[in-house]
Amino acid sequence: MFTEQRVRAVLYYSSLLIFFLGLPFILSFALGYKFNRSTMKFTQTGLIYIRTQPPGAAIYINDKLINDKTPMAIRELLPGSYRVRVELSNYYPWSGEIEVGARKAAFLEKIILFPLRPDIEQVNKDKFNVFLMEQDRGLIYYINYEDNSIYISDLKGSYFRKISNFIGISPASSKWKFSPNREKIVYFNKHKIGVTYSNGEKYSDKAFVLDYPRANILDIFWHSDNYHLVVVSDRNIEVLEAKPDTEYVELVKLNKKNPQAAYNFHEDTLYFIDSQRLEDGSVYDNLYKIDLTAKALIFPELINIKDHE
Amino acid sequence: MNKRTPFIRFLEILPGAVSWSILATLICLAIFRPVTCAVIIITFEFYWIIRSLYLTTLLIMAYQKLARQKNKDWLLSCQKNELGKNWRDIYHLVIFPTYKEGLEILRPSLEALKKCNYPLDRLIVIMAFEERNKEAQKNAYILENEFKNVFFAYISTYHPDGLPGEVRTKGANATWAAKHAKGFLVKNGITFENVIVSCFDADTCVEKEYFGCLSYHFLTTSKPHQASYQPMPVYNNNIWHASSFARLVETSSSFCQLIESIRLEKFVTFSSHSMSFKTLVDIDYWPVDMISDDSVVYWKSYLYYEGDYRVVPLYITVSMDVAYSSNFFKTIVVQYKQKRRWAWGIENFPFLIKGFMKKNQIPLSNKIRRIYHLLESHISWAVWAIIIMLIAPLPILFGGELFKQSSLGYNFPHITNMLLNFTIGASFVWIALSWTILPPRPKDVHWSKSIIMVCEWVIVPVIILILGSTPALDAQTRLMLGRYMEFYATEKSRKKQE
Repeated sequence: MFTEQRVRAVLYYSSLLIFFLGLPFILSFALGYKFNRSTMKFTQTGLIYIRTQPPGAAIYINDKLINDKTPMAIRELLPGSYRVRVELSNYYPWSGEIEVGARKAAFLEKIILFPLRPDIEQVNKDKFNVFLMEQDRGLIYYINYEDNSIYISDLKGSYFRKISNFIGISPASSKWKFSPNREKIVYFNKHKIGVTYSNGEKYSDKAFVLDYPRANILDIFWHSDNYHLVVVSDRNIEVLEAKPDTEYVELVKLNKKNPQAAYNFHEDTLYFIDSQRLEDGSVYDNLYKIDLTAKALIFPELINIKDHE
Repeated sequence: MNKRTPFIRFLEILPGAVSWSILATLICLAIFRPVTCAVIIITFEFYWIIRSLYLTTLLIMAYQKLARQKNKDWLLSCQKNELGKNWRDIYHLVIFPTYKEGLEILRPSLEALKKCNYPLDRLIVIMAFEERNKEAQKNAYILENEFKNVFFAYISTYHPDGLPGEVRTKGANATWAAKHAKGFLVKNGITFENVIVSCFDADTCVEKEYFGCLSYHFLTTSKPHQASYQPMPVYNNNIWHASSFARLVETSSSFCQLIESIRLEKFVTFSSHSMSFKTLVDIDYWPVDMISDDSVVYWKSYLYYEGDYRVVPLYITVSMDVAYSSNFFKTIVVQYKQKRRWAWGIENFPFLIKGFMKKNQIPLSNKIRRIYHLLESHISWAVWAIIIMLIAPLPILFGGELFKQSSLGYNFPHITNMLLNFTIGASFVWIALSWTILPPRPKDVHWSKSIIMVCEWVIVPVIILILGSTPALDAQTRLMLGRYMEFYATEKSRKKQE
């Protein structure tokens, strides 16, 4: 019993000793102090944390190789400016200067090491002219003007196959846009609007092209109902139903010849710039918006929206 | 308990107030002075790691002692007649206070007594029922028929409900039974000095050597009436059938008790324990209005003998039930309430201060040491898990960019992780020891359960989060607010034997 209590006392006082001896070192390490054995004093230091993409790069601090790889923290650095270089074979090196403060941590976390030979890979499996990318579903659409066909593949180019046809327009368009439900695609040049279907097997006979001779088309937007199109031209803003022999409804006549426009799908609102002339003859631009939500879609009435003249 | 004078209320409020102040101060520091908070947390965690390693070493020491003495023939040691006193003169009074426990719990406890190698004609067994339990009479009748001729005496007592000055506690029931036993002993001409009383939880199953071991220690200890005798509680009765969560908590409780057995100056009776019947009568029995009767009886004896009273560890196990319920969440509730009841031991603090104020013979240094141990253990119980699990991340959360860009901001999470990883080493020791104290696997339990029982230690952080500190903080807060607890009889589940 007594021996046991003696052992326990030794353990107890040893624990106390470890605690009181160890604590100053742990705290000084945590706070960024370094113990200098020669002076028997604690010195204030800082640290640099380096992370690279990809990891595993060699680190040089003031041209001296550090015996470890990224990601890592280099501690016990005296306050001052340091030249940092990171190197990884087959990648461009990165270098820079960084200031280390006393009891501060400096972070180099956004270093991307780019490869010396970028890994370029051909994705398409056949000829094409324009491509569309649908990142959410991981698909690439290829438009081929020679055979007026649309092809599809995944993001790696696999499963390449034809999915639909379209009616060609001249000059060929590079502006292609999916409807919000991804079922329809509108494409256009200055005076023609084509509509086709992404699921060609189901709707192969429904593709059509509309003439638009009245003005130069600048942009076209899908309404969230996947049926109406909003056409922004250098003369006006019109809506139309995406069907053959449709009628155009003019919403706004524009003063500006080359207006910028953007469409908010979530709220079915068109934002556009148009210019306004004041009584003193000066001209300046305003940003306008038109609510095209279903409840506001009484298009004949919208025709009466006042223009700015 | 005490008449609640303003001073007593102050003492009741103090532990909870200290615990809450520690937590509130750390939270405020985390928000307004994150560097100071981080330094305190690193200091605390380092202290906690050192403490854990120290306690794990004590656990190993206690375990080795338990293993050494496990197979000792204690009765033979008694029979060698080198004790200066005839062991045959010793009578063992065993009291099982019970409330809702059914026959499936009570019968194995009595069967375990029956299997003891100690002469059964030296055992007086009292099954102490609560009168308010409607099943009491029926159960008593069945058990009397089975055990009335097995021991020197087998007695059933029925503790009336609502006696003046009493609350519904185990201590009140045990006291009623002990008073009944006193009459019985007088009637049979048995002197109190020759009687050792063991107050066991209703589910306590003793090992066959228990009374030999107890007698040996009683007869060899100097001033045997000035000591309590504490066996090592293990929760083996239903451990193979209990849920992982409950099993781990109870195993940890067993280990804590083993550790305490080495720290003799802090050792206090817990759960099932034994003591001199003479002393029990002298101190006026167990408290009848306090929940933590097992520890209060020790303090009553300590005060009665002016500090010259101690707990002698018995390195022999008594097996009890793991407290668990039908599903995981109910088990958490059962365990939480049980731990909260244990943590209600903080009610000893005002009791002890009041007692010390009347006892001038106890040296002041002893008083301060005992008060400090009591307060420190309960307060650290109430805050440690909350500090480590919930407050430690706050300096990072509230520190802002300035803190994150400091050396401390960067090093803080790394150091806390590194320090806590040291505890993994200690955990392996606990896992290994938990394996060694397991009873043999029952035939109806699949072998894969053995693997599960090793792997389940990974849920320890969840247990720490739920049961680490909150039951203790809850108990202290209740005492602080004057919301006094009633005795909660822990739900016990045992698979029916086929």
